[in-house]
Amino acid sequence: MRISVMSQMQRSFSIDLPSLIPLQLPSHEVKSTSLLKRYSQLLSPIEKDGVDQMRGDELKKNALLARTLVRTTISRYQTNKEVDPRSLMFKKNVYGKPEVDWQNCNNQPLHFNISHTDSLIACGVTVHVPVGIDVEDKERKIKHDVLAFAKRFYSADEVNVLATILDPEVQRKEFIKLWTLKEAYVKALGKGFSAAPFNTFTIQSMPGTEGAYNLCKTSEVTADPPEETKKCNGGWKFALFDLADSHYAAVCTEDDQANEGAPTKIIVRKTIPFVEDQLISERIFL
Amino acid sequence: MASLSATSLSFKAPSIQSTRISQVLRKPSSFQSISFGGFQSSKSLRLQISCAAKPETVQKVSDIVKEQLALSADTALTAESKFSALGADSLDTVEIVMALEEKFNISVEESDAQNITTIQEAADLIEDLVQKKPAA
Repeated sequence: MRISVMSQMQRSFSIDLPSLIPLQLPSHEVKSTSLLKRYSQLLSPIEKDGVDQMRGDELKKNALLARTLVRTTISRYQTNKEVDPRSLMFKKNVYGKPEVDWQNCNNQPLHFNISHTDSLIACGVTVHVPVGIDVEDKERKIKHDVLAFAKRFYSADEVNVLATILDPEVQRKEFIKLWTLKEAYVKALGKGFSAAPFNTFTIQSMPGTEGAYNLCKTSEVTADPPEETKKCNGGWKFALFDLADSHYAAVCTEDDQANEGAPTKIIVRKTIPFVEDQLISERIFL
Repeated sequence: MASLSATSLSFKAPSIQSTRISQVLRKPSSFQSISFGGFQSSKSLRLQISCAAKPETVQKVSDIVKEQLALSADTALTAESKFSALGADSLDTVEIVMALEEKFNISVEESDAQNITTIQEAADLIEDLVQKKPAA
């Protein structure tokens, strides 16, 4: 799968600086008004309404960039013909998950999902399998006590993992990683949050791997005494990695039945549509 | 003559204002059906139906939303304000719900928590849950 990332940063930033330096992504970003105008010309009337509904200039710009990233990214991966990003049409599935409306071309294999934070927008594209992506600022502060939050919303096993982490900073970061993984799964599933309440499944890291995770679903077998069974079979693949040193990104894809268990290749590109495009990484996740 | 027996009229929060029917219908689990006994005209029906959440509830929800999203104190919020339009993501929404649970001493179902999209919806849900609590 491929991920296009649009960072809210100045043009000059990315090319020369080594990736080890933790950078502050300035909130001055894609500033050029002519560029923003060009972006807004890509949007449908409904999307423009969506942008206008956002309260405040920053949020409006963020919404504009998100739609721009989706349209330009998807149109790049059409191999048959040149696709004008403006021409893409979108619809929602019965649960509200956005999808491309391919109109007369049936059985198009491309799937996408998008996630954004204040300073970074990510769009993931896959072939043949549904995808969910969630990004989160590593430094995001949780207003509630992390463990209390987890006990309220996460699964018992996940709470146990978090409870063993003594350093509050490390614990907060693990909490956020789990959040992005769980969000990515629900978004990949595409059936709304009610279909997979956070406390009914556990995502655990696979021992001996870096960034690979497993999904375990908890279901109650009604018996006396009631028992909980855990199924950790495949079906969904996860990957967690850093973006721009500032964000965690979690990706979830449905395991392709034809290639079940095969490794997933993830290609990350950083892009400012019409301006620049840069390969960030190519990784294999088992 | 119009006859309206108490048993044939039933309603409860959330609001049944006609302008928001479409919103209620989107969530079948919270849809309440209203049936009336025969009556001739609304003029003869001396019954005031006020189902919107109390203004104080809306205000308290707004305050919590402003705090969670770090909005300036003078940001104008209305009951119709959408969380997403204010920049809230799903993590913010869940944190807002947790703060509302603490403030109003209620417990929100997970599936309801993620589906709240406006201040009005939050206020209605709160009043619904507060009303359902056993009398002290």
